[in-house]
Amino acid sequence: MPPSIHPVDLILALRDKHLTPAIVFLTSRRACDEAMQAFDHSRILLPPPRQQAIADVLDKVIAQYPSIAEHPLIPTVQRIGVAAHHAGHLPSWKIAVEELMRHGCLDAVFATTTLAAGVDFPARTVIITQSSIRKSRDFMDLTIGEVQQIAGRAGRRGKDLVGFAIVTPSPYIDLNVLTKGFTGHPEAINSQFLISYPMVLNLLKAHPLDQIQPILAKSFAQFQLNQRAEVLERKLDDLRDQMEPFGPRVCTDWITEWQTFDQVRRQKSHRAPVRKHEPPEVAARFHFLTPGRVVGFGRSRGVVLRQYRSKGQKSPMITALRLGGGITESPASTVTEVSDRVLDCVDAPVYPWCTPESVEELLHHLEELPGRLPELPILIPKDDEPIPDAIVQTLGDFACPTCPSRSACQRDYPLAAKLRQEQHRHVKSIQALRTSLWHRFQEKIDVLQQFGYLTPTAHLTEDGEWARLIRIDHSLLITELLRADAFSGADPAMLAAVMSSIAHDDDRPGAFPRVSSGLASLLGQVRKLAASLSPHEDPPLLRADIAAVTERWIGDPGLTWIGLCKSTTMAEGDIYRLLARTLEFLSQLHTLKATHPGLTDTASRAIAALRRGVLEELP
Amino acid sequence: MTTEELEQLLAQQPIALLHRLARGRVQRHFRAGKRRLIEVLLRHSAENRAGFESDLMTLIGEKHARPAPPPPQAPAIRKQKSSAPQRRTTHRPVEPESHEPAITLSSWLEGLGIPPSKAFVPDAWQEEAIAKLREGDVVVSVPTGSGKTYVAVEAARRAIAENRTVIYTSPLKALSNTKYTEFSKIFGAEQVGILTGDRRDNGQAPLLIMTTEILRNLLYDAGGGEIDVRLDTLGLVILDESQYIADPERGVVWEETIIFCPSQARMLLLSASIGNPHDIAEWITSIRPTPCHLVRHSTRTVPLRAGYLHPNGKLTPLFRTVGIPHGHPSYLHPEAKRLFLQYEDETLPSHSRR
Ligand SMILES: Nc1ncnc2c1ncn2[C@@H]1O[C@H](COP(=O)(O)OP(=O)(O)OP(=O)(O)O)[C@@H](O)[C@H]1O
Ligand SMILES: [Mg+2]
Repeated sequence: MPPSIHPVDLILALRDKHLTPAIVFLTSRRACDEAMQAFDHSRILLPPPRQQAIADVLDKVIAQYPSIAEHPLIPTVQRIGVAAHHAGHLPSWKIAVEELMRHGCLDAVFATTTLAAGVDFPARTVIITQSSIRKSRDFMDLTIGEVQQIAGRAGRRGKDLVGFAIVTPSPYIDLNVLTKGFTGHPEAINSQFLISYPMVLNLLKAHPLDQIQPILAKSFAQFQLNQRAEVLERKLDDLRDQMEPFGPRVCTDWITEWQTFDQVRRQKSHRAPVRKHEPPEVAARFHFLTPGRVVGFGRSRGVVLRQYRSKGQKSPMITALRLGGGITESPASTVTEVSDRVLDCVDAPVYPWCTPESVEELLHHLEELPGRLPELPILIPKDDEPIPDAIVQTLGDFACPTCPSRSACQRDYPLAAKLRQEQHRHVKSIQALRTSLWHRFQEKIDVLQQFGYLTPTAHLTEDGEWARLIRIDHSLLITELLRADAFSGADPAMLAAVMSSIAHDDDRPGAFPRVSSGLASLLGQVRKLAASLSPHEDPPLLRADIAAVTERWIGDPGLTWIGLCKSTTMAEGDIYRLLARTLEFLSQLHTLKATHPGLTDTASRAIAALRRGVLEELP
Repeated sequence: MTTEELEQLLAQQPIALLHRLARGRVQRHFRAGKRRLIEVLLRHSAENRAGFESDLMTLIGEKHARPAPPPPQAPAIRKQKSSAPQRRTTHRPVEPESHEPAITLSSWLEGLGIPPSKAFVPDAWQEEAIAKLREGDVVVSVPTGSGKTYVAVEAARRAIAENRTVIYTSPLKALSNTKYTEFSKIFGAEQVGILTGDRRDNGQAPLLIMTTEILRNLLYDAGGGEIDVRLDTLGLVILDESQYIADPERGVVWEETIIFCPSQARMLLLSASIGNPHDIAEWITSIRPTPCHLVRHSTRTVPLRAGYLHPNGKLTPLFRTVGIPHGHPSYLHPEAKRLFLQYEDETLPSHSRR
């Protein structure tokens, strides 16, 4: 048995059951082209009036888009009433096929699934031959939404009473994916919020830094992150209820107290005390407990005013201003949370260790702070590391052995500790969900500051002012090229050629014209720069062969479209798309008139030279 | 209820409930912790104490009405938009008894044909979408080929009649070109313009077509103070194929466009069927001055049937039922099942099957 139905048999079967017109979705452009070739010597001709109708529609389209007058598929289209429609074709050809379909002239169109999105192209029947599609160089199963989008092309309002979606197998088809797709509910969609350099520059152009977070909070991304945080908050509520019986006992934080005591107790037996040492987490945190730092004490919160060591034991201590206005001296170990926030405070040599005005201000800020603050990531050794000798030595300091709640603590500790750990984990995750966009934004700010597009206060520098107008992929590479004056000696053809090698992201091999030596060396320079930027921006492919296509088209105004196509194995539609994208990139350069007059002049000449023939047919 | 009692009651509620209460009352309530949230809610309740208390009681009631404590992974129960046109027709009642025989090919093919032509009557959901645009933004999520363009055209017609500018965006240049032709026929060529990166055809027309990226750039330029299309008269922004918001590379552009769309303009989002259109509507409501109304349905206007065509040319229904058995992917037609198994047997390399 053949691995899939022969195109001619397919059309015969469809005609026989009155299932035309149909869209036949095939896995690749090549499959579409081969399907068309299968009709070359076929005798299943259309009756003459229908052939004439096709010719009439085509004539009208050709009058508007002369580029398709000689299209090699026209004879088959007219004789058989089938056509191919995929990304390898010119837009004008695709318009012609769509127009034929709209007039009901065709029996079938062989297409790739790119057609499923958006193009108004309905039919009575849709033929599905695949259950996966190529997405960014990988084959992925079709989603339910995609299956329904594809199948949904079947059945035209006003022209059909019913539509048919017909599966015909080809190798590697998975019928389950398709039946699930037909019968299921489309998936929920998720935000794909990417923070790009131009976004950062444009936002900071229009808004001061402290307004950015509220703007990011308006994104669908944050909306969905908040939904996830809400789920965790509900879990947190539950945990809080479960923790109810484990509130403060003789000591406020009995869980930690017991944990330390218990571990010390166990280690004591086989370890001899050596030398005085602090618990690692306290030692690690103590560095950060500097004046102005916002910290949490269990459920309450405060600002550090000073840090010092106690006279006798030399244990780490802090003076803190608490919510409500109290000023307390406490061991550093009572700090449960070190936030990443530091408030301004003017320190003073004597109690309360800062100016009275500062105290007022700090208190005010403290009250205004949001409920949850991002915690400072401090690396703390894990629980199961040996307890430092200092504590082992001071076992006598623990009140536990004689404490009245000792047995209760011993009993409850395992569950309470587990719940509390879970609580901490959720709190951390919630913080991450609430602040991740902002952190990603800040990372981009850092890079832009490093490169001098932003001042240390996150205002646009002179370079930032124009760089924000470059709003395309690889914007950092492009703006850096401009700052390096890489195009000073470039003619329009070279400028456009480099832009197309930046714009082009397909690695399909092929045969191409040769590049000029000037362009080759310029591309070498671009590649070097792109490589040096790679920690901050993925480098583009920068294919010289692709650049050469553009260079030829612009460099030789006498070159015809056919001539250009003959110079490479690239498909017509791909060349068109390459040049159209180049046009887009060039027109972005064109917006830099005020700061880069020479460059914009070259860019406009390149645009003018590029827009001719086929490239002039459509807006 | 005294303020103290109210405060106590609030304190007893889970934070998620407080957030729901805060929705539409308190800006950026997501940023507040429980204590702070209660504080602001109390302050806010002063304005309309009765309304506030009744909302609170409703939410508490809803919580208790929930059967058991919800499983932790259960999605948030959302306030159903009271005016939602049609509830999801989740699983249509196509569940013939298993002893009922699978349908035959001829009854599967029955009814095929061309409907008698009749005068154009807009669907209820189309009317609803157009009407709701008067009050606020609208998200439409309906199956492919339902007639979203009609909504776009009528909404644009109204806005133009009120001397407002309309921007229509699509994700693809090709689609923009098609719509340019289509809209020029409907409104007259002088009424429609198209903008691309380097070209501007009839840029002063009241109905402008562009890709979403171009609109995003316009909005950034307006934000930076340099404006070259008249956004002050902008009355309506139509984002067609807005399910593209989930596109891995370009989706962010839709978010930017929605975030920065001038507040005086209405937004009309046209989307294919997606799983969570209420999320989109709720999100837009939360960031825009007017509420966003959701128009959705999942019933296809032209019914769809699924079939299986064997490489030898034999056609059979794919499912046991004439229509598509929603929710029952395994309801395969025995003939289709047999033929497909046979196909796999014959085409798959033998070692991969043992
Ligand atoms: N109320 C109606 N009655 C009859 N036909 C209608 C009605 N509304 C729209 N149509 C027709 O339905 C067809 C499909 O409409 P349209 O292209 O607007 O669908 P769509 O929802 O935009 O689909 P897509 O998902 O492909 O973008 C058109 O031919 C249109 O004329
Ligand atoms: Mg549409």
